[in-house]
Formats: sequence, structure tokens, C-alpha cells
Amino acid sequence: MTGISRPQVEDLLYREAAFLDEKKWREWLALYTEDAVLWMPAWASESETTADPELELNLLYLRGRSSLEDRVFRIESGESFASVPMARTAHVVGNVVLGAVDGVGAELSARASWIVHSYGLHGSLTRGGSYEYLLRSEHGTLKIARKKIVMIDDRLVGPVDIFHV
Amino acid sequence: MLARERIAAMVEEGDGRFRVDRAVYLEPELFEAELSVFYEGGWVFLAHESQIRTAGDYFATRMGRQPVFLVRKKDGSIAGYLNACAHRGATLVPYEQGRASVFRCRFHGWVYNHDGRCMVIKNEETGAYPGDDCKERFALTPVARVESYRGFIFGSLAADVPPLEDWLAGTTTWIDLIVDQSPQGLEVVRGASTYSVHGNWKLQAENGVDGYHVSTVHRVFASTIAAREARTRVEGLRETEAGRMIGNVASGCYDFGNGHLGIWAQRTKPQAHPLWRQKERLEREFPPERVEWMLNRGRNLYLFPNVFLMDNPSSQIRTLHPVSPDICEVTVRCIAPVGEAADARAARLRKFEDFYLTTGMATSDDLAALEATHAGGFARAARWNEFARGMRDIRRGAQDTDGAGTGLVPQSMTANWDHEALYHGFYRFWKQRLVESAAS
Repeated sequence: MTGISRPQVEDLLYREAAFLDEKKWREWLALYTEDAVLWMPAWASESETTADPELELNLLYLRGRSSLEDRVFRIESGESFASVPMARTAHVVGNVVLGAVDGVGAELSARASWIVHSYGLHGSLTRGGSYEYLLRSEHGTLKIARKKIVMIDDRLVGPVDIFHV
Repeated sequence: MLARERIAAMVEEGDGRFRVDRAVYLEPELFEAELSVFYEGGWVFLAHESQIRTAGDYFATRMGRQPVFLVRKKDGSIAGYLNACAHRGATLVPYEQGRASVFRCRFHGWVYNHDGRCMVIKNEETGAYPGDDCKERFALTPVARVESYRGFIFGSLAADVPPLEDWLAGTTTWIDLIVDQSPQGLEVVRGASTYSVHGNWKLQAENGVDGYHVSTVHRVFASTIAAREARTRVEGLRETEAGRMIGNVASGCYDFGNGHLGIWAQRTKPQAHPLWRQKERLEREFPPERVEWMLNRGRNLYLFPNVFLMDNPSSQIRTLHPVSPDICEVTVRCIAPVGEAADARAARLRKFEDFYLTTGMATSDDLAALEATHAGGFARAARWNEFARGMRDIRRGAQDTDGAGTGLVPQSMTANWDHEALYHGFYRFWKQRLVESAAS
């Protein structure tokens, strides 16, 4: 593995979790590349999520960092009924498995498991699933170019925003 | 069962007011009566035919408390059965959707065919059953009535209900406005989302045809979209229709009768709608008044008691499953014209995801408002919810000129979706049916 080290990857994943829990939105956005994609497919059956984000239904399919900014804009506006008051969250990210590095050592895939415990109007809730990342080194800084979130839960209670997963 | 007088007193009208006791959202006994009368004793929406396309395809759901499944038979017809083995009642189908040549109970191995007939009783010969032909005595219990209207499948556990089209009344004109969008009909797009809402099912019914909240609850959606479009300069299908949320556009509310309701509002950017691509074909095939309704007017249609068909920013089937007075499970699916171009389909889905889901930027706010209404309903020292808006503007039946060209003659309407007089139709029907059943 050249160019990108495990500590770098873990540091990025854990910082993202902390920024979401601490609601440091600007810092969170800065972890993503300009063309980043954040994708959480919907469930198509008991065992399969949707697979084609363009032509099947997703829970989240945010293309470009500006789409992530839409979500931050709404949260920060103070006018979203679902976001006032805002739930408290604790992300736990682990079981990090590194994938292959591309030829020039600039991109790397990684997989991790997640649990998010939250507390809010609906009481204590725990949801979980997996993350699949494509990470890219930009001017020496490792960033998130693509993140697929699988949330194993359905029959969702309460709103599920970018910081709940 | 609640006394007839108690139910009758929950909806009060006259002297220029129409008000509903907040107890309607909370009383456990009332909830039991609603499930028996409406969900287990009348027509409810079950599925769309595209979900069971091929012989042997099944789809499992619930009617009120009762598990049922639909199956597409070899002759192309659709049957519905209680999802419970005739032997000891274990549910028969393991998945929500699947394909099966026969239905084999996983408990004792009994087998049923698509006609619901028992084909195999395991170890029948050593069963020491009294009498012969005991397979004849065990058949799946059919859903008493299963009928489709243009691809939308409804069922009733009670046989004594009017024909489906009579039940749907004037809403068929609005269903046609969706179905006619493709000569090949509609299909459910792969993927669904279910959420469990802490609020009575009638608050779901109200919210989906509540135009009045849009300019408060969804103002933030409109401002988010405005900020996005200022930043990214998208065009055409990638634009988002948000004018109806903040502007004064033509709009209206309908009471279709039988508890069915509808609202519509003029689209300020019809070119952003995926159907815009079909404009020329629609203009060739349909009269201008109908094309106007299909292309330029977003519509939310509520079919009593358990489904919405929405054709607004995107197109949706929203099914309600009441669990308790306080909890309603809601499943949303995207429904789209068969044969739609890939970019139009993608635009339809992205608009769906932006707006409609509990992970989206509008439905999540709707649900928060709905749950706040349910929570506030416990403030029983104040008894009434008031539905007086629009009362001076109510037009009956043929006085409606907006519906001209669709063939619709509504029960009543008002020409502003900020109005709340449409709910009178819902609560009158609700009260009448519950009072009738309490009397018998």
C-alpha cells in the first residue's frame, strides 16, 4: 500500500464521526471532495438494497458537495420542523477494512461498520450498518470522494438526516 | 365499542363552525372500531399490479390487523387470501414479495395452490382424520372482494361492499390523470421506505391533503432549493418546482365523497416535471383541459382510508397501516410511467428523494408537525380542533368549474388549497359509518 496509510484512513473516518456528533458542519463538509457522492440506498427486499442509484429509489443520493451543503443549509436555518430541537448523536465507527489502492496511490477504498445511538423527541434510538468509502488524496489531504451508507434498519422512527447515519 | 352518542358528539357542525374532538386521535376503543369498520370491513388499497406481474408472484400486506397476500394466478387474474395456514394459522409466505408455484406452510408442511385449495396434508394417510376428503375442508380463506381500477388493486374483507368504481366515485377522474401519463400504464420503481409515525392515522390522512401548512412547514424546503439553484444553476428537469410553497398560485381542495379528498396547485415550473417530455404526445391524445391538469397542476389524492396517490414534485403511492391509536406505519413507493426516458425517470426519483422520504427535506418536516399535533392532542383540557377555513367559499357539485374537462363532479370544493373545508367530507363520512356500525 503506497501513499495512503491505515492511520490516515482511520483518522479521517473518526474525525467525520466526531464532526457529525459535534455538529461542526463546515468542518464536516471540508472532508469531502467537490464532486463527492453520498449514497444511502433504499431497501428493495428483506435482503437486498437497491443497486442502481440513478434509476432506483434511494434514501439519500447527494451528488456533489453542494448537495451536502443543501442539507446543512436546512439544518442551520432553524426552520426545519424536524431539526428543532435537534437529536443528540454518538457515532461509533469500527471494523475498518482497507481495500485496494489505485495505481498512482491517490485513491483507496475502505469499508467500516457503524452504530449511531441518538437521543431526541423519540427517545433513545440505535441504528447501524456499513460504510463503503472511496477516499482520495487531494494536495496531500485525504478526502471522501464517495461514501455509500447501508442502514440495516427500516420502519424508521423519527427523521433520519445526514447526522443520524 | 363506544356508544353511538359518544362518537356522534366527536364531530360538531353548525352555527358557522366545524370542529372535531381531539379524542378522535387518542381513544383506544375508537381505534378498534375504525379498524373493524374501515380497514377490515370495507375497501382498502392493497398493491399496484406491477408488483405482481408474473404468474406465481405474491405480495404480502395487511388489512387492518389481518395479514393477507395477493397472488397472480396462471390465468392472469389476481386472488387474495388471509396470510394464515388453514390448519393452525401460521403465516404462509416468508417474504413481502416473492414467487411461488404453490404455498407450503413451513410449520407442518401443508400445501395450497393459487386457488387457495389444500393440495397436501402431510401424513394425511396416518392422520386418523374423521371422514373422507379432509383436504376439501381446509382451504385458504379468500379476501372477500379483490378488484383493480386501472392497475391499482383494492380488497375488502367484507363481501357486502359496493363495486370498486362506485366506491372510488369521482376520484377515478384523478386516477386517470396519473395512469394516462403512459400508454403502457404505470410501474412501481424498485425500492421502498417504511416509517413508523408517532401519530394517529387520521393525522396522516389530514396532512397529505393539507395545503395550508405548505407555506410554513415547507418554506425551508423552498429556501433550500432557492439557495441550491442560485449556487448550481441547474436547468430543465433538474430544476425543482417550489413556487407553490411560497407564491400565490391557483389551487383548490376537493371533497370527492366517501371520505376521499384531493388538493391541487398550479405548477410554476412545469418544465421541471418529468412529464413535460410527453407534452406533445399528451396534446395529441387528450383534450386541452385534461392536459392542463396532467402537466400543470400538482395533485395529492387521498383514497379513504389507507392510500395517497400523489403527482406533485414526483409521483408516489403512500400506504397507511395503523398499528395503534398512537402509531401509524407508512410505506412510500415511487410510481412512474412505463417506458419513461432514463433522464426523466432519474429526475422523478431525485425529486422524490429530495422531498418525500423521512430522510428527505420535506416529509421529515411533515412528520415532525404531525407528531407535534398528536402530542398536542393530549392537551384535553382544550377539546376541539377547528376546521372552519374555507366555509364561506364552499361550492357544491357542478358549481365547480375548475374540474371541467376531467369529467369530475365533486361533492364539494373550495378554490384555495389553504382551505380546510374538504375535511368536512372526511369527518362526516367517518362519523356516519362509525355511528351506523355502533348502532347495529
